Amino acid sequence: MNRMTAFADRNRKEILRDPLSYIFCLAFPLAMLLVMTLVNTSIPKESGMTVFRIDNLAVGIAVFGQTFVMLFTGLTVSKDRSGSFLVRMYATPMESADFTMGYLLPMLAIAFAQNVLIYLASLVISLITGPVINPLGLLVSLVTLIPSAVMFICIGLLFGTLFSEKAAPGLCSIIISLSSFLGGVWFDADHTGGVMLTICRILPFYYCTRAGRSAVRLDFETDTFMIPLLIVVLCAAALAVVASLVFRSKMKADLS
Amino acid sequence: MSMIETKDLTRRYGEKTAVDRLSLTVEEGELFALLGVNGAGKTTTIRMLSCLSKPSSGEAFVDGYSCTAESKAVKQVIGLSPQDTAVADHLTVRENLEFMAAVYGYTKDEVKQKTDRIMEEFHLGEVENQRAQTLSGGWKRKLSIAMALISEPKVLFLDEPTLGLDVLARRELWREIEKLKGKMTIVLTTHYMEEAEHLSDRIAIMVSGRIVAAGTLQEILAKGSADNLEDAFVAIAETNGDDGTGGNV
Repeated sequence: MNRMTAFADRNRKEILRDPLSYIFCLAFPLAMLLVMTLVNTSIPKESGMTVFRIDNLAVGIAVFGQTFVMLFTGLTVSKDRSGSFLVRMYATPMESADFTMGYLLPMLAIAFAQNVLIYLASLVISLITGPVINPLGLLVSLVTLIPSAVMFICIGLLFGTLFSEKAAPGLCSIIISLSSFLGGVWFDADHTGGVMLTICRILPFYYCTRAGRSAVRLDFETDTFMIPLLIVVLCAAALAVVASLVFRSKMKADLS
Repeated sequence: MSMIETKDLTRRYGEKTAVDRLSLTVEEGELFALLGVNGAGKTTTIRMLSCLSKPSSGEAFVDGYSCTAESKAVKQVIGLSPQDTAVADHLTVRENLEFMAAVYGYTKDEVKQKTDRIMEEFHLGEVENQRAQTLSGGWKRKLSIAMALISEPKVLFLDEPTLGLDVLARRELWREIEKLKGKMTIVLTTHYMEEAEHLSDRIAIMVSGRIVAAGTLQEILAKGSADNLEDAFVAIAETNGDDGTGGNV
């Protein structure tokens, strides 16, 4: 077992053995899925509001769930940094890349598993309430949302590296609110227009849900799928590079 | 053979000098105690020797490797048990040990073999499957030291290993440390006189970042013109300018 795998395994266990992870990363998104499904039944069809229809809601909740993985990434990293655990690790042959990949990989696996469970629940709900979601669309959407998960995890890694155990979760909460409102999780951003839509389009979160929803519909048009996905991939890659560089620089500063 | 050697090792934080022109030599297999009040510079010295801090000036060598230029090589031969226990809270005792062994790149079989050995040596069997967060202070310290030893280091740094432990847990840990004597070089920091007295081959008294006396217990007693270490320590510290406020850090 190499150093990075060992550290990733430790992080996976630390997260999965914390009961709060299940409450925030699984129970809460699933509860929101049910609540919003109930809300959807109360919305008159004439209103034309489809954001809470299960095929759209599933993706919104999946992205919402990923933001909580970001929160736990921030918490884990900031907690490790504030205690002496990382001090001990710094005195071993571990290098900066071992740490960043060791945080990223288990979080990505957890985010993927979380999305699988949310999509399974959504599929069951769609069979009950309709319209029935195409399972193939859900599978494609699962893969489509991987760059989005990387993006959120890297934001968590960045905040956890830069801020304290108290500040990092607070900042992650701001991103959770921003991404859910301006990412079109709780309303259809395309139906807003004006400044609101412009703000949504400036931030990367809107493109996460847009690409994911297009994938569910097996709509691979350039405007609705390819470009949003490309934007998310580029943002995820940029954030991964920034988070790695910041962690390396902080580690260097810690060891100076 | 010298296992640790420092030459005018100095660490400054802005205007303050935490470690001031420290020159010391620790022989292979020796248990060397750095004794001093809080803020005397003991932990900063350990940090520089374990490549966690860079010296402002001077040099430090561990097993012949430079702590600044060859930190990777130094990290392969040292084990560190920090002042705080620094264990993974949600991992069991066995998992913590296996994790540390894996970090040093051992194969799966080696990881198991080394974990079994260290668990037996430290009598950790009864808490093997207990999560670290549920352990008492004494068990946590034992685990922390066991984690530092899993890679079979040539040099072990123990930073205040019994800080905050009750007398029984402290004595138990002393017995474990005594068993290690002669098998590796150990540098231990402490502000407990009886700990330094009981465990060390040689003692260095640190005051305001400087070593003001070093030698065997008998040599320290002679230097302080006292018949116990506490009196000798107070005499030496006061002669060398410690006003009891915790040094210059």
